[in-house]
Amino acid sequence: MREDHFIVIGNGPAGSQAAFTLKEKAPEARVTIVTKEREGCCHSHLLPGFLAGSISEKKVFAISLDHYTKSGIKLRTGQSVVDVNPQRKEILLEHKETISYSGLIIAVGGRPYIPEPLLAYREHLCTLKTFQDTGTWRQLLPAADSILIMGGDLTSLAVTKSLLALKKKIYFMLTGEAFWPLRFDKALQEEVSGKLTKRGVTVLAGNKLVGIEPVRSGSCRVYVDGQKIKVDMIGAFFGLVPDIGFLRRSGLQLDRGVLVDEYLCSSHEGICAAGDCAQIYHPEIKDYWVSIGTKNARSLGKIAAVNLAGGRKKTRVDRERIFDIQGVKVNTSWWMEF
Amino acid sequence: MSNKIIYSKQQEDFDYIAVNIPCQHACPVNTNIPAYIRALFESHHSSSYAINAMANIFPGVLGRICSRPCEDMCRHGEKELGNPVNICHIKRAAADLNKTPAEPLKPLPPCGKKVAVIGAGPAGLAAAHDLALAGIDVTVFESFDKPGGMLRYGIPRFRLPRTILEKEINRILKLGIILKTGVHIGDTLSLTSLLENHDCVLVAAGCYTANQLNTDGEDLKGVFSGLDFMIDVCSGRKPAVGKRVLVAGAGFTAFDCARSALRLGAEEVTICLRRTEEDLTVTADEIFQTKLEGVKFNALMLSRRILGTQKVEAVEFVRTRSGVLRPDGKREISEIKGSEFVLPADSLIVATGQTPLELTTGDGKLAVTDTASFTTSMSGVYATGDYLSGPSTVIEAISMGRKAAEVIARRLTGKKYRKKVVRMQETQVTDRLRAWDFVPRQAMPAIQGTTARLKSWAVEVETGFTAQQAAEESKRCYLCYLHYEIDIDRCIYCRYCIDVAPRDCIKLVDRIETNEHGAVTGLHETSVWKDVNAVVIDNARCIRCGECLRVCPVDCISVTRVELMEQGPPSDSSIAEHKNA
Repeated sequence: MREDHFIVIGNGPAGSQAAFTLKEKAPEARVTIVTKEREGCCHSHLLPGFLAGSISEKKVFAISLDHYTKSGIKLRTGQSVVDVNPQRKEILLEHKETISYSGLIIAVGGRPYIPEPLLAYREHLCTLKTFQDTGTWRQLLPAADSILIMGGDLTSLAVTKSLLALKKKIYFMLTGEAFWPLRFDKALQEEVSGKLTKRGVTVLAGNKLVGIEPVRSGSCRVYVDGQKIKVDMIGAFFGLVPDIGFLRRSGLQLDRGVLVDEYLCSSHEGICAAGDCAQIYHPEIKDYWVSIGTKNARSLGKIAAVNLAGGRKKTRVDRERIFDIQGVKVNTSWWMEF
Repeated sequence: MSNKIIYSKQQEDFDYIAVNIPCQHACPVNTNIPAYIRALFESHHSSSYAINAMANIFPGVLGRICSRPCEDMCRHGEKELGNPVNICHIKRAAADLNKTPAEPLKPLPPCGKKVAVIGAGPAGLAAAHDLALAGIDVTVFESFDKPGGMLRYGIPRFRLPRTILEKEINRILKLGIILKTGVHIGDTLSLTSLLENHDCVLVAAGCYTANQLNTDGEDLKGVFSGLDFMIDVCSGRKPAVGKRVLVAGAGFTAFDCARSALRLGAEEVTICLRRTEEDLTVTADEIFQTKLEGVKFNALMLSRRILGTQKVEAVEFVRTRSGVLRPDGKREISEIKGSEFVLPADSLIVATGQTPLELTTGDGKLAVTDTASFTTSMSGVYATGDYLSGPSTVIEAISMGRKAAEVIARRLTGKKYRKKVVRMQETQVTDRLRAWDFVPRQAMPAIQGTTARLKSWAVEVETGFTAQQAAEESKRCYLCYLHYEIDIDRCIYCRYCIDVAPRDCIKLVDRIETNEHGAVTGLHETSVWKDVNAVVIDNARCIRCGECLRVCPVDCISVTRVELMEQGPPSDSSIAEHKNA
């Protein structure tokens, strides 16, 4: 009989947890993780601390590469999946290799969201989601005295804290809708603005970006309503969107994320999704939701793996931890951990 | 190399086109896409325009608003090959960059027949164009003040400038067509009286009855039908929409309504989808531009009832669950019980489709009796366009209009005017470089910044390719009308061609399968050398890079230009010859 081959796409907290659980539940099966990242599983919420030098590189990586080998999990890094064929039970990699699977878990996580009006300035905007992203920051930071932080998700606050520790001049452009994952109301705006101002940050609350213009020295001139400011770097933090573009032609049912039931099973047999790319309907909140945060991701990764290996475990969500962002309900453990 | 040109009417050659030139086959009017892209690349802008106009009549209009079925089938969009060629925007470039006034079309001498066309929308105008070219005396009756139908009254100016529309409509009217506007068939003129004065009547009256939600509260102030809303907006009126606008619908009309609401001063506009963003059929460019302007999308929700006392105050929705794809391409949805929720709103625009207005004859309602032959329940009266099929796209309406015109012209004169042929001519390998396969798809330049966009209805959002961008995008086309073939009698089976092939497009086969017409339908590969009977280029996989031909030591690979064309009335052939030159 042909042995089972479980493939997990993504090596974040959800993906890695799914792979280890699969190996535990089905020790005889082959388990392969395919990830486009070049490094191991990274704690993205620790990256701002890493930039400030308060957290070591070792601590950023949650799992040592040896651990995968010892557990019998094949880790294929730096390889992008460009398509999934549920009928043939195959994934297609960017370098045109196809790999067959008997069960698949999609745990690709989210990618930084850049609002459409800002895409024209994409080349000037730095994000911080992966360890690779830290390369750009570390390259530009030494020469950057002033930095504009746009958006206002939770990462932006951590980055601001780190940059202040590095004695940088910070401008913060608070964007209501982007205060991800929390609903940005007046009280929250005042609280955040007050705290930032107290720490020496220049808050540009409620202002609208008119344009960004690069200047010769590598800096940018940013036009905000009637004024212009010159900054050496711009960080964009508008939350995350599920990184599922490669599934567009797969036939899987998709919305913002992969639509799955409470068992994390997708519309196709043998395919589950976990982590912040899985979108689930929850009767209590009468809406679809996605989970973010390391703790949630691990939990979902485990449930997906248990169910793919033949189990029947439901996900659950605590209503008080649900937030609304851009019409999508978000369940976060991150805010609590932060 | 032989310069011999073969015109074939063999079904196997039409079958070949269907598989091997997927863009042209997908186009409802079979526009010769590789030919016009190549002409544009060679800076023959007027030829590029003319090739388009021969098939689709409105290149400047369609280059802006076409639904682009061709791009969905473009070989460059196959999974491992990247993104489809930006065919539509190259069409627009052909129109924008063409500085030579289009040659006046020359109709055949008058044949003494008269046809009345009801409706001056894309279907009616396309039909009038073809009927007039056939020498038929055509009068078009239009109920609005100006011609264009949904092009003028359904698509806002920021997507389709009226100068472009008028220029292309005038080109058609110059064929000698009489246009009578402000005429409502049924009120001011009956079908029966029209038929008394004409040999045939063609009804191309479109779909002007908006679908309703059939829910409570639909008669409240602030509830608009998408169709009426767009007619108002396109006529220069300014419906009061308030600050929070919900749009129910997922088609181009819903998107136009949402973007128009922003221009009317709405601050929060949300498109409410029954299915998901992934299931949308509007183009990716349209979705992007709509989001860029600030419109939000909410998926998997179905409106249940409209709440309010004097005017709309909120809408109750129910969540939906996404299901399997239906044969018509739409995804099944089901309501989730107990999932009702309410969204506040100052207005609701219902853009969930349209149906045709009912026309009456002396014997009752006019009914379509056969969609294939365009006939109706009234002898001498034909139907076409959206009136015939229900809501369709502009390019489908043009296609239906042209086909109906052919049926009528043949009936009135006994002659066939438009014959499809496959033209084949041996040619040389092009100058396409393999590197061009990696040129990224050129994005359509657009006005940046919502303030600049929203300040005037007349600001066209997409600004069009420059000549350089258009040429760069044109490089990406594989030119699938080129057919590569190995002459087995001369092949020495060295397999150099297989070594340089960029994908599995050259195959060692023991057997070739054909259909009942003789067209190739399958290649049976073999890895057993003694069983190999031929080395075959699989043109359905070939990306026309020409590498095989360059390395062939015995020069046994030939290239033939294979094109689906039309042999039209004599006035068309002058354009065809122009293109061939």
